[in-house]
Amino acid sequence: MKTKNKRLDLLFYILLSLLALVFIAPVLIVLSNSFKGQFYITDSPFTLPDATTFVGLENYVNGLRKTGFFSAFLYSTFITVCSVVVIVFFTSMAAWYISRVRNAFTKAIYYALVFSMIVPFQMVMFSLSKITNAMNLDNPIGIIFIYLGFGAGLSVFLFTGFVSGIPNEVEEAAMIDGATPVRMYFSVVFPMMKPIVITVAILNAMWIWNDYLLPYLLIGNKYKTIPIAVQYLQGGYGSRDMGALMAMLVLSIIPVVVFYLTCQKYIIKGVVAGAVKG
Amino acid sequence: MAGIRLEKVSKTFDGNITVIPELDLEIKDKEFVILVGPSGCGKSTTLRMIAGLESVSSGKLYIGDMLVNDTPPKDRDIAMVFQSYALYPHMSVYKNLAFGLKLRGEDKAEIDKKVRSAARMLDIEKYLERKPRALSGGQRQRVALGRAMVRSPQVFLLDEPLSNLDAKLRGEMRTSISKLHKSLGVTFVYVTHDQTEAMTMADRIVVMKDGVIQQYDTPKNLYHNPINTFVAGFIGSPRMNLFSAQVASEKNKIMLRADKYFFEAPSELSDKLSGYVGKEVNVGVRPEDIHAEDFFMGLEKSLKIEADIDMAEMMGAELYAYFDFAGARMISRIPSRMNIVDNERLPLAIDLGKLHIFDKETGISLRV
Repeated sequence: MKTKNKRLDLLFYILLSLLALVFIAPVLIVLSNSFKGQFYITDSPFTLPDATTFVGLENYVNGLRKTGFFSAFLYSTFITVCSVVVIVFFTSMAAWYISRVRNAFTKAIYYALVFSMIVPFQMVMFSLSKITNAMNLDNPIGIIFIYLGFGAGLSVFLFTGFVSGIPNEVEEAAMIDGATPVRMYFSVVFPMMKPIVITVAILNAMWIWNDYLLPYLLIGNKYKTIPIAVQYLQGGYGSRDMGALMAMLVLSIIPVVVFYLTCQKYIIKGVVAGAVKG
Repeated sequence: MAGIRLEKVSKTFDGNITVIPELDLEIKDKEFVILVGPSGCGKSTTLRMIAGLESVSSGKLYIGDMLVNDTPPKDRDIAMVFQSYALYPHMSVYKNLAFGLKLRGEDKAEIDKKVRSAARMLDIEKYLERKPRALSGGQRQRVALGRAMVRSPQVFLLDEPLSNLDAKLRGEMRTSISKLHKSLGVTFVYVTHDQTEAMTMADRIVVMKDGVIQQYDTPKNLYHNPINTFVAGFIGSPRMNLFSAQVASEKNKIMLRADKYFFEAPSELSDKLSGYVGKEVNVGVRPEDIHAEDFFMGLEKSLKIEADIDMAEMMGAELYAYFDFAGARMISRIPSRMNIVDNERLPLAIDLGKLHIFDKETGISLRV
């Protein structure tokens, strides 16, 4: 019996290791190619850099020079950080209200938000782009509110599931202690939401940081975020600089990977809590 | 300091589910009153209405002389201890205790003094810097009590505060809460479904069923003079034995017939029972009033029966002997030294002086 279990475990290890390799391989290929001369990248993309192909940090220097990476990095950081803060703040409050005040109105709001998760972006993108222009939201501040709209569905869904699992009695105790609803939210409810706040922040940060289509449609002409800036390397200057492209991809991945690794223990906790207590 | 008064208070949920039809209750200042009853009897709802966590559908609710129907919980000068403790999980014990005082704008030195004094009283001083998750159930419960204490409220409300604790700790906490009540000298309203808690701690007990108060009396009176079959069955463990008997009159005496037995009814109830001749009544007798020892067998005012004991539960000092009598399931509490075994035929004596007689239709005691 034990031997059988061990064999099964081994099989799982092998299968999961292969799966992990499939996921991590593209990142490793990009990383290895970012140190190779650009002609070697297309010739032999899967080989590691050697004495002939290795070009040091040349691709990085080229990329930074050609893309205006630092300004793109600042725009991406500003939009991502502000959007995540706004999404977490508003959707957590909305979810608290939805899960505590149960009536037809809150139910309707909840289902409308959940429904928004299944509407494909492509379906709304042209009308959205028009409305955004008309409302003068086609700038790095305006796009934060567009992200709030797109991020609200999943975020409210996750927050509502989590808040429903928090016993009402804690809030009642705060009420008896003399807390106003605003004070209760900031001093009692929000701190208790920490695991799901981190989950929602990670999920939204990853999506917004990597998003190409929405910023391209709305603000791409004037304000380039990293994905747009990187895209310009592909044919935007007459020739395709694959080396610089790989180098910039590596740089763009680093912040979101660091953020994810710092908070990864919460993401699983949060997703599970949201899923089972909804 | 304040008492509590509920005048024709009712509670309806969603416009059509009536949990409490009409409740009148007066709790005196500094009294320890326990609301007890089966699940869904409305005891927690009553407590939550007093706390202001549920609105009053109709009627008037006073704390002291103040009508508080529309007063928010924070202005009622009450404190509440919840079943789940409801501590703030992200705050240390110190901050949990200080939170309410801070919201009331008290100065730091005063808060510190009050928190430390409550912690000393409840023996949680060394845990002040810990988070609730690092405490045991009993310690958490003491923190919850401390949080209520620091505010020096005029009314303490406790909603099944001991039901999450193990039996040993429950016993200890019962004593602690009783002591706390005596030392603080404020009104305590306590909800439980555990009648041991009710009997040991309360000055007076409110027995509730379906949102209606069945009896409001001292523990002793509830036990010895239950007003109806519900209270008789609810208070006391094991519950009071109830069986049917026919009322008859013979030689100017009121007699009762149950099964093959024919015996004299309690003489003090003769007048009332005379109106029941030919009818059936419910007869109640506590398990400790059915005796097996020789001494009781010789008593004049007792009914001797032959009982086929089909189960005997050993409880330590005593033994619960189960048998059937007059179509009802009966229990007798017998000293455990008597060595009774299952399926034994045993002569028992029912103390006729301790009988309770209830109207069959209304369930009301004829002693009322």
